[in-house]
Amino acid sequence: MLSADASPLEARAAARLAGFPGFLRANGFGIGGGDSVQALHAADRSGLLDQDVLRWSMKALLCRRGDEWQRFDELFDVWFLPANRWQSPERREAGEGGQSDAHSGGPAQGGAADDEDIRPRRAASREEVLSSTDFSALAEREHALEIEALMRRFARQLKYIRLRREARARLRRSVASGGTPFHLVWRNHRSVRPRLVLMIDVSRSMVLYSFFYLRLARALAVELVDVHSYIFHTRVTEVSQALHDPDPWRAQERLHLIAQGWAGGTRIGESLEQFNREQAPRVVHARTAVLVLSDGYDTGEPRQLSDALAQLRRRARRLVWINPLGNRPGYAPTCQGMQAALPHIDLLAPGGDLASLRAVLPDLIETLH
Amino acid sequence: MNSQRALDIASLQRDLAQAGYIAEPGLAAALLLMRDLERPLLLEGDAGVGKTEVAKALADINETRLIRLQCYEGLDAHAAMYEWNYQRQLLAIKLLEHDERSGAMDLARKEQDIFSERYLLKRPLLDAITGERPPVLLVDEIDRADAAFEAYLLELLSDFQISIPELGTVRATCRPLVVLTSNGTRELSDALRRRCLYQYIDYPDYEKELAIVRKKAPGAEARLAQQIVAFVQAARRMELQKRPGIAETLDWTAALLRLGISTIDVDGAERIMDTLSALIKTRDDRAAFPREVVARLAAAC
Repeated sequence: MLSADASPLEARAAARLAGFPGFLRANGFGIGGGDSVQALHAADRSGLLDQDVLRWSMKALLCRRGDEWQRFDELFDVWFLPANRWQSPERREAGEGGQSDAHSGGPAQGGAADDEDIRPRRAASREEVLSSTDFSALAEREHALEIEALMRRFARQLKYIRLRREARARLRRSVASGGTPFHLVWRNHRSVRPRLVLMIDVSRSMVLYSFFYLRLARALAVELVDVHSYIFHTRVTEVSQALHDPDPWRAQERLHLIAQGWAGGTRIGESLEQFNREQAPRVVHARTAVLVLSDGYDTGEPRQLSDALAQLRRRARRLVWINPLGNRPGYAPTCQGMQAALPHIDLLAPGGDLASLRAVLPDLIETLH
Repeated sequence: MNSQRALDIASLQRDLAQAGYIAEPGLAAALLLMRDLERPLLLEGDAGVGKTEVAKALADINETRLIRLQCYEGLDAHAAMYEWNYQRQLLAIKLLEHDERSGAMDLARKEQDIFSERYLLKRPLLDAITGERPPVLLVDEIDRADAAFEAYLLELLSDFQISIPELGTVRATCRPLVVLTSNGTRELSDALRRRCLYQYIDYPDYEKELAIVRKKAPGAEARLAQQIVAFVQAARRMELQKRPGIAETLDWTAALLRLGISTIDVDGAERIMDTLSALIKTRDDRAAFPREVVARLAAAC
């Protein structure tokens, strides 16, 4: 800890620092109690009174992932700087030359030019609905058991999908016994399940089904580790973190915050394009099955949808479209959106309720192989 | 307010620059902290922003070995930690068969001999903790490895010992400086993140990238380097599938120099088109760079 002969200023700064990890935790940082001790240790090494040095050290120590990294500087300012010395949020000019490699140490230069979001993702569009939505249906008890049972079955069957087999194990074992194959390793039993990416349409035409699908996604995430969920309407939003929160109430709260535009217009093509651009390189790999859950009613250009799907199809292993209207009598995928999508998808499955999903499960498993 | 630490950071930045890596002060501070707290450093960021280079530069300035473990899907403990040298063991068994000595005592000794360190092949992780001087251990693209391997690694990083069933526990004779990199293709476990210091590396801004180009491609004249960096920065702002990283910038610089292009301007658009394959790596992105766009970008440089 800090040496006993620390100046009063340092002692005060240390006391302030001690509360900082707790403050970050309150702001959603995933840090534990041990980190407070580590923070004081680190500060002991780096010194407390140089603002930039302290900022950089704490940033490396207390951030765990990208989004925390982005928010850190602001929280640091809030905690340590008096109110009138916060850095103004406009860092656009600073972004050009503010981060020169020389360390000048002035208080105005926070080394924080990297947290701005330049991408024009926040642009409002005419069909967005900014009202809030009631997510209480997410924790509804009705059919909860059936949904869980079905998803458990789905997850279990996925386990039998093996995308990779190794013959090397047998060779290695036999070498250990002098080339005599004592241990017959016929097949490596390690299963490699496909990663699932769920794209849930939450536009107005889907209003009857989107909650059902969200509950499916939530139940599925309990069973499988590698599930990524997104909702889209006129743009795409990741909901994995919020949806997979073990506490149902907190999940509702978090969904509330990110669900702007819920039940608005649909621009599937644009949403998928955005997904391709921003998320796909990170999330979709050669073992990924993408499941689009949508009715295919699209107000955008069919051409755009077709292109976006083609691109996604190239990246992913399988592309499955689940259409809630598919099991209505006399349904044919004639709407423009479905027509544009059909050439690119591996399976079009109906799935408006539990019974139809159950019926389609064998096909789905077959396709994912 | 120049504290001792600030001076340390500046000096580390200078050292890194000497080793060919332009580091931001934040990264230098994290590297110092990594040394102080003996914690691994987790680097995240898009492909091609120079994550791997950090470890190389670090090994360079510490004048120590760089041990690199490239992770891939299906990487298991054998490939990463240790393996018995089966061929040599077999040979030894054959030789011992013709040995006159026999009896229970000798048999036990022979067996012990066969599973001794002489027959052990050190793979990167074992290698890293049994050296005389602490090396830099680079665990590259940890997100590609399976979750099971991550758990192995976690054990190593917390205890710094490896248990080998036939031989016993091998304790670390030195603590390596561990650098992990991740492209974020898979979410890493919280346990691993908790053990590490974290650093997110973004695409460099104009000044930093210019400094890098000047450093790594001294053949390019100042004006050309500025134009190259301006062009790449503009290309990065376009909506591309695969945004060019620093490695691409350097490749492209080399390509331009090779073709004897000394300035980027509108008239040279045709020749610039020929070199774009060094910068743009997918077909769709290539389609986003017709001649007019290249000419416009070149004119703006």
